[in-house]
Amino acid sequence: MGEVVSMLKRLLSIILILIIGYWIAQGLANVPFGEDRMLVGKYYLQHVKEQTGAVNAVTAVVVNYRGFDTLGEVTVLFIASTGVAALLWRKRRERTAKTEGSLVLTTGSKLLFPFIMLFGMYIFIHGHLTPGGGFPGGATIATGFLLMYLAFIVYEIPHRGFEVTEGLAGMSYVLVGLIGLAIGGYFLFDWIWQTWHFGTSNLGRLFSGGFIPVIYTLIGIKVGTELSGIIDNMLKEEVKE
Amino acid sequence: MSQVASLLIALPLISAFFVPVLKQIKKSLIFPYLTLITLLQTGIAGWVFYEVYTTGKPILIYAGGWRPPVGINLYIGPFAALFILIIAIVSFLTSLFSMRMVKVEPIDKYAMLFLLLMLGATGMIATGDIFNLFVFMEITAITAYALTAYNKTGEAAEASMKYMILGGIGSSFFLIGVALIYGVTGTLNMAQLAEFASAGKIMPVVAQVGLSLIIFGLAVEAELFPLNAWAPDAYQAAPHPITVMFSAFVVKAGLYAMARILYLLQKVNGWDSVLKLLLIMATLTVIFAELSALRQKDVKRMIAYSSIGQVGLIALAFSLGTQAGVDAGVFHMLNHAIVKTMMFLGVGYVGVMVGGTRIEDFRGLGKRMPLTALSLSVGAISTVGVPLFNVFWSKFRIIVATIQAGFVWPAVLVLFASVVEAVYYFRLLHVMWFAGEGERIKEGWIVVFLLLLALIIVGIGIYPTPVWEIVKRAGSDIFAVKVYINNVPLLGVVQ
Repeated sequence: MGEVVSMLKRLLSIILILIIGYWIAQGLANVPFGEDRMLVGKYYLQHVKEQTGAVNAVTAVVVNYRGFDTLGEVTVLFIASTGVAALLWRKRRERTAKTEGSLVLTTGSKLLFPFIMLFGMYIFIHGHLTPGGGFPGGATIATGFLLMYLAFIVYEIPHRGFEVTEGLAGMSYVLVGLIGLAIGGYFLFDWIWQTWHFGTSNLGRLFSGGFIPVIYTLIGIKVGTELSGIIDNMLKEEVKE
Repeated sequence: MSQVASLLIALPLISAFFVPVLKQIKKSLIFPYLTLITLLQTGIAGWVFYEVYTTGKPILIYAGGWRPPVGINLYIGPFAALFILIIAIVSFLTSLFSMRMVKVEPIDKYAMLFLLLMLGATGMIATGDIFNLFVFMEITAITAYALTAYNKTGEAAEASMKYMILGGIGSSFFLIGVALIYGVTGTLNMAQLAEFASAGKIMPVVAQVGLSLIIFGLAVEAELFPLNAWAPDAYQAAPHPITVMFSAFVVKAGLYAMARILYLLQKVNGWDSVLKLLLIMATLTVIFAELSALRQKDVKRMIAYSSIGQVGLIALAFSLGTQAGVDAGVFHMLNHAIVKTMMFLGVGYVGVMVGGTRIEDFRGLGKRMPLTALSLSVGAISTVGVPLFNVFWSKFRIIVATIQAGFVWPAVLVLFASVVEAVYYFRLLHVMWFAGEGERIKEGWIVVFLLLLALIIVGIGIYPTPVWEIVKRAGSDIFAVKVYINNVPLLGVVQ
């Protein structure tokens, strides 16, 4: 009897999904494929270099033209890490991992760690020039910390420092935006490029791109500390006295 | 000068990021700090409200200095100005109450999430960009998930889990809808979308599918019928001040976003059928919520159901497609925000003082905590829709607008639901005033705010005209799309 019901349920859900899929496909079929539908997109591609100083158009859109969304996304991540920390909060929590990693694993991780850090920093510093940016860079850095957590049973990040760094990086992002408000009259205004014209003759090199590298560095630090904090919170268990 | 209004977003953000630093300095400063920030936010919101209503012009904020549709703009028209002010005031009140009601650790995380919930709702109401709306909706929703589970009880975790799964599915649908609409128009700016829709440049099928997906996604946040199963659990399990915020503005932000997008695309073919769908969902929301409230043993849960019922009523008003309906809906939004703020604060206060919110805990409350009981009674009578209280006017206007729009059945059903509502609210009144005995419990300064809110309720009830004038302007902000399009100067490069 139970089996019949579950079969019926499965059948019904398959039919329902097919109907929804067909319906969405109907909508999609009317979106012309391969045709030039770029309205705003064209503007970005034509003006990105002179207006933002970035060679990477995606980062220019993400940080400069639509920087407001990125500020929101940074906040979403901040909420995620705060939420995890709030829900897993206990008076005393410690790592309770039991098996020691092999010598090859621990030594390898130790050696690998600085390279991962370096590469992560490279990604977010070069956001305006190469693919990547603050979010992948920060995630790479957090991967380094995850590696340390998995290789050593007693490893722990200094969370007090991490929490403060995370907060300060977020504040600096908003502060850069507020300086834009004070200098250029708009929140998140790129004052380094538009007002100071810093690096205008340097297009395509490291010291260009207006405030994009500055913001991406802040985002990289913030994302790195945040994801490490989430890992730290999830790996610890409550210790009863 | 008007760009300074972007502080409405920047201030809660930077203050939330500052909390981890403040925690290292002194932990006992966190709640006073929270109150200070919300007070500042109220000040800015008050200034914005004054500016918008005296000049009659909306405040447009260009993030990064880019004109739309290249950049993102915030549009603070009469509606946004009014509701941002309400959000700020409610947040200020709840931050005061949080000092008494939230004792569960970690309070620093609570303060951050609190500020970001306020930020998310403010952004949702202020934004003029459809993808930015999604970002702010995520901020609001994810904060809400975390705060629902904040008490760390089993039922809180369960409620949060339900909310998270439903909300996650809802926002994915929303995002698919946005992608479809972007695919066919190539823009994300609301004003430009409305322009395209008016010019008939959006293909009807795409517009219909996209619009329904967006409405479906927002319906989770707006607590409409098949998607609101998370709401009663979340309302009951969340910390008391957070329940106030859910009911007073988180739902409203979802409803508003829904109405805004719906009316922006009103020239699209097939718009009527989307409207009909919403009408059915709204009517069902009212009926199911009120009938469920009838059977509740827990007062907080009962009021949660009642709140959902009222939200359904607002959605009904928005789905009529007429100016009168939208105005009435906005009026009800305002009244509901005031009444439910007071009700949930009062119930939460009783919960803290007496140690529970079951209906037995309310026996003889009139003798034990007379002032709290008095304000709760004012709220209850008002919600039912008795003349000389504020909700009467908005309910009356909604029903009149519904009949004018030619929908007799929904009006009858909603009226029936009001009768059901009367039954359980009067039962609560009976329990509070005519049953049980009890010692007098000393009521603190909190009661002053409750009584003040009760006074506002009666005040609007007796003399609704000035509020109605404000509400009418806010309503036309949603309805008059032509004005909206003209108010947002688009960059002339694209076409």
